[in-house]
Amino acid sequence: MPRYELALILKAMQRPETAAALRRTVETLMERGAVVRDLENLGEKLLPYKITKHNERHSRGAYFLLDFYSSPEILPGFLNHLHRDVDVVRPTVLKKDAQAPSSTNCCGSAQ
Amino acid sequence: VTLRADEDVTTVTCVSAGVRSLTSRVVQQNDDAVSDVMLVKMENPFKEPPKGCVLCSVQVDYKNVQLLSQFISPYTGRIYGRHITGLCGRKQKEVAKAVKKAHSMGFMSVTHKHPQLMTDPNICGVKLLV
Repeated sequence: MPRYELALILKAMQRPETAAALRRTVETLMERGAVVRDLENLGEKLLPYKITKHNERHSRGAYFLLDFYSSPEILPGFLNHLHRDVDVVRPTVLKKDAQAPSSTNCCGSAQ
Repeated sequence: VTLRADEDVTTVTCVSAGVRSLTSRVVQQNDDAVSDVMLVKMENPFKEPPKGCVLCSVQVDYKNVQLLSQFISPYTGRIYGRHITGLCGRKQKEVAKAVKKAHSMGFMSVTHKHPQLMTDPNICGVKLLV
């Protein structure tokens, strides 16, 4: 199965609420037949620009990175679900390419 | 010794300077031998290792905001061109794509550089107004 990465920005909330939101997300994913590989917390940071979502202007957000394997068919439905979730500020799913770029292959100097 | 025609000259040189010509011939042979030794084919021992761009062995990631911010203007947030960053074609494209990705995903600001990253070393050699 192809491997995806979800860069999730959640609203800046208290710890139990953040945990609940994450749990909800992961359970939704697992219900749809995905295998969650890794969940990283990138910390709560100031957003680079103010984001308006669900009639609310956010300036701080909690960044999470979710690695999972899934079939590509569930992705539109899953993204739809995330967009509807009130606690989620910005969800982005990216495909993860497991390439090992050969460093020696790179360039002679451009100048 | 009287010199008359070319023949005489040659004979004279041959005879009197016979030793000289012989030695000169020998010297020539020596030269050939020496030059043969000099021209043995080998790889240039003074060859410099191939130079790459700054990001040659570095993987560019949209999450690595600090790295990406080194290639944007601190005042406007615009991505520097290839002639300023000095990156090779492939890496320049990767950096540009990663910056655009980071913008859209809410990782990096579009219009400016994060103030904490202002003190990072200047790779692009851009002179800024302090």
